[in-house]
Amino acid sequence: MTAARLTAALLLVGFVLPCEPFAADRNESRTVIGPRNLNLYDGAIALKAGHAEEGVRLTLLGLNMAAGEHERHIAFANLCAGYILLEQLDTALDYCNRVLARDDRHWRGYNNRALIYIKQKRYLEAEQDILAVQKLNPNARNLKIVRAMLLDETDPVIPNIVIDDRRRPPRNDDDQ
Amino acid sequence: MIKTALRIFRTALAAIALATASVADNVPRVTDLTDESGDRVPLRTMIPAYPEVARRDRIEGEVQVCFNVDRKGKPYRIAVRKSTNRVFERPATRAIRASMYRALPPGIKPSGIKTCRTFRFHLEPDVVDDAQ
Repeated sequence: MTAARLTAALLLVGFVLPCEPFAADRNESRTVIGPRNLNLYDGAIALKAGHAEEGVRLTLLGLNMAAGEHERHIAFANLCAGYILLEQLDTALDYCNRVLARDDRHWRGYNNRALIYIKQKRYLEAEQDILAVQKLNPNARNLKIVRAMLLDETDPVIPNIVIDDRRRPPRNDDDQ
Repeated sequence: MIKTALRIFRTALAAIALATASVADNVPRVTDLTDESGDRVPLRTMIPAYPEVARRDRIEGEVQVCFNVDRKGKPYRIAVRKSTNRVFERPATRAIRASMYRALPPGIKPSGIKTCRTFRFHLEPDVVDDAQ
């Protein structure tokens, strides 16, 4: 699996953009212009752009300033994806597990964790997470990408093209 | 005997063209099937690229493309006659467009008969050597 392909998959997969300004306490009334947690927001933007180190740094700052579980959840999800980009898989796995411990229907979390397991050659666990994504969001495009990555590791294939110029139809299907 | 020699010569020519020409970066395994019933000799047979989406989703399929060949050997009026999956149609027509046939000798007119080529896209298990 090339690094570029892994990055492409992750950029499609794991990042949550905390673009909604919201109050930590929903009963509190305040006016906020722009994202409430700028570090978290900028961290997500950086990660989406592929700047993993900067993205993780900003997201960690955003996590320290997180107001409420929702922002912490977003931070954990993005840190999972960010540490995957940095190839620090054990740290990434820890954050992904925190995401899923809080929300076991977070299909992106399962998807990212499947990527980690594939990278760590833990294929059975990867398959379990892919099945979870399939149940939660069967039409997810990212699901196809991750599933293909797993198949490339466990069941690699090579293309075979038959070019048939025969005018007469074949009597047998020997060439197929 | 002359017909046999001609058939062997055509097959060899096609094999050489196949070995040196490809539109794909990763050249797939290719099987070339031909007989002596065609009225034009392939000079350069381009191999279509296996679409990445099809490879990713483990899709196999077949496309038959029919076309005319002008006197210089260039295909034209290229059209898909039948296909099992549309994802393979563009690579197939692109491969035909990039292919060439042997030019006709002076004084010989093109027959006007359409030539058809079928591409069958398969995925085979890649045997991994455990020792690697």
